Amino acid sequence: MGITLHIHSLSKTFPGQVALRDAALDIEEGEIHALVGQNGSGKSTLIKILAGFHQPDANHVVTMRGAEFEIGNAAAAHAAGIRFVHQDLGLVESVSTVENLALGFGYDTSFGKRIKWRSEAKRAKQLLADLGFDINVRAPVATLGAAERTGVAIARALQDLDAGVSIVVLDEPTAALPGADVDRLFDAVRRLKARGISVIFVSHHLEEVFEIADRVTVLRDGQVVGTKRTSELTMDLLIEMIVGRKVVARSADRAVSAATPPRFVVENLVGPGVNGLSFEVRPGEVLGVTGLTGSGRDTLVGLLSGATPRFDGRVTIDGDEIPNAQPRGAIKRGLAFVPVNRVRNGLLPTMSVRANLTIADVERNKKGWRLSHRDEKAESNDWVSRLSVVTAGTEVPIATLSGGNQQKVMMARSFRLSPKVLLVDEPTQGVDIGAKEEIHSFVDQAADNGAAVVVCSTDSSELARVCDRILVMYRGEVVETISRETGITAENIDRALLAGSTLAN
Amino acid sequence: MNTETRGTPKASLLTRLGLDRFSALYLWGAFMIVFGLWKTDTFISSATFKLTLGENVPIGLLALAFLIPLATNSFDLSIGAMCSLSLVIATFLQNDAERSFNLPGGVTALIAVLVCSCVGFLSGFVVVKLRVNSFIATLGVSQLVTAIVLKVSDNRQITSAYSDTYLQWGRREVLGLPILFIYFMIIAVILWFILEHTPAGRYLFATGGNVDAARLAGVRTDRMIWGSLVASATLAGVAGILLSAKIGFFSSATGPGYLFPAIAAVFFGASQLSRRPNVWGTVLALYALAFGIKGLQLVVGAGSFWVEPLFQGTTLIIAVALASQQGVARIRRKRAA
Repeated sequence: MGITLHIHSLSKTFPGQVALRDAALDIEEGEIHALVGQNGSGKSTLIKILAGFHQPDANHVVTMRGAEFEIGNAAAAHAAGIRFVHQDLGLVESVSTVENLALGFGYDTSFGKRIKWRSEAKRAKQLLADLGFDINVRAPVATLGAAERTGVAIARALQDLDAGVSIVVLDEPTAALPGADVDRLFDAVRRLKARGISVIFVSHHLEEVFEIADRVTVLRDGQVVGTKRTSELTMDLLIEMIVGRKVVARSADRAVSAATPPRFVVENLVGPGVNGLSFEVRPGEVLGVTGLTGSGRDTLVGLLSGATPRFDGRVTIDGDEIPNAQPRGAIKRGLAFVPVNRVRNGLLPTMSVRANLTIADVERNKKGWRLSHRDEKAESNDWVSRLSVVTAGTEVPIATLSGGNQQKVMMARSFRLSPKVLLVDEPTQGVDIGAKEEIHSFVDQAADNGAAVVVCSTDSSELARVCDRILVMYRGEVVETISRETGITAENIDRALLAGSTLAN
Repeated sequence: MNTETRGTPKASLLTRLGLDRFSALYLWGAFMIVFGLWKTDTFISSATFKLTLGENVPIGLLALAFLIPLATNSFDLSIGAMCSLSLVIATFLQNDAERSFNLPGGVTALIAVLVCSCVGFLSGFVVVKLRVNSFIATLGVSQLVTAIVLKVSDNRQITSAYSDTYLQWGRREVLGLPILFIYFMIIAVILWFILEHTPAGRYLFATGGNVDAARLAGVRTDRMIWGSLVASATLAGVAGILLSAKIGFFSSATGPGYLFPAIAAVFFGASQLSRRPNVWGTVLALYALAFGIKGLQLVVGAGSFWVEPLFQGTTLIIAVALASQQGVARIRRKRAA
């Protein structure tokens, strides 16, 4: 198989920092090539050079199909048939698929500049069908599912395929996708491969790398650690390449006595997506909840925390009832939660790390009427070092932190309340593997401190890592409970997820 | 003080002197020099200083009023009309030949401010309970308030409406400064303390930063927005009272015209200091603009009313553009890193 893109000794120096050092990468024709590494490993720099956003240092050798290729030039990249689909997709959500496809390309018009809507729609339909999607191309993009939106973004990148697309770069396309949607996206990616198009696939999800990629290149500290065929790798080996040391994926080994009375009791909970759910969590226990999108797993934390109103049911902490639809009331009764989608539901983006950390209980540092900034800074510094948050201090806006470090601040916000019950929803979404392990150990700590913990997640290995018991949901109900007796492993969870959906079908 | 604590601020001293965060201060200095040299005798005089400090206080109070809901990312466009409302109530309760109210000045002032608070409560209800965008809700309320003002006053101009004692409250000098300026500074200090040094201030800005996230973190965001609209209406009412005691006559045209200069000072001020809506940035911006306008009026001559809006429009756009250039540069640097 021929080499489409050949990169040799590519470096990028920023003032005071070498972001990429002597990188080498070969992309074969029609292969799916994963690019993995922690935040700051240099993979974003590499992608940005390829996209022409950054210009590399001199003395590199880059060829495209054997011919010299000017890397670091957006127009040259486009002309050579390299296309990008960025993580945020860049779609205009309020307008239709047809209109999104026309962005930057224009419409086919007839007499008097009238847009030929009918033929445009037909073309859009065909482009999406080629990727395996059957959608209403005239509906606003906002009404489409997550996988479909990604599909639209890919279709837009590929629509001038006649110009000879050779490489498609997918930058963390699955970061916001629930499990079932990932499969649809992968189906689309395999269709690309079948057409002879090479795909560079950037992801934090290593299971996905094994599922879809032919080869994987690992970066660490600005250097390429190596390129391997996924068939020759194991998960442990890959993780070791990424972090540069052995990571012990310790499974939780807490012993919670069945005699301890339950701390967190949910009785007959009814709400959007949830039909009469009941469960109990003891102090020091970590309960996992999983399920496909729409199973109730995705709305559960919102209902329990009061973010969304519940229709029926009782939720109590040590017998004390949590009022409906009042996040403040829940917090006052000892419930802390880390909501899903920290950008929308968690961050105060313009405010400092300190203000973000302390917002759930500002009164603590009050002296008389006055808020003591000194005490608050001291406390924040303490949390930042305890959770090893990488930041230029407690006073910088939280938006300047990486996703993993933002998430650690969100964890700290909840931990600081010394909660009786801690709810976390997809705690490591979009977080690199180093920070992921740290966040998992915070969950352990919360349980060790006597909190009843509920972790809602679609990440099977995460659940296997932290949970003592796992509820598998389907259509608003628990269809299976995975316990220590049945074996808490990622494989068992995945099997239960699949079984749940086939069972009910 | 040890060397370590001295060493750190020294490094940031240059950035602390930066033109970006203190452009209003530099602008103010430049006006003082330029007009001081140009119109030395008229511009550099205590009369001009006192006049400029005092006559901008109503605008300044309206600016502070606008600032409070802005912290929660809500707009209160009714403050100009609210200022008129307070003015009309104070005037007609004190001196009305036809309906013969003759209440004492202090009582009328209190009633006027309370009525404004109630109207602010109504705006809050429309925004929080009826879920109307604050921009639209307060635009609507401002029209309703204007209707009341015109109905009560019949669009007349009332002169010599107030007693001398009442006028003294707005015209006296204390410590060689106009008393209005002293009131303004007291209110500014209180508001600064609330916004920057109490949990309430933190909650207001958190609500403005991300209302969903703030609510989920236990902040009573509805109460913050509602309360901020009551506070802004109350402060606008106070501005109306001080205005009545200062100018000594009533005209329905007074008030609404202050809306733009007040908003200009807030947005110009938000590009200063902490780079978000803040009290001292607003005060700084207000007086930088005021002294510039005063100087220009002395140069161009009396009756040159067009100077004011021209000047305010120009400086507002330039100052905010400078601040966003800085922002753009910062984003570019961050992307490069």
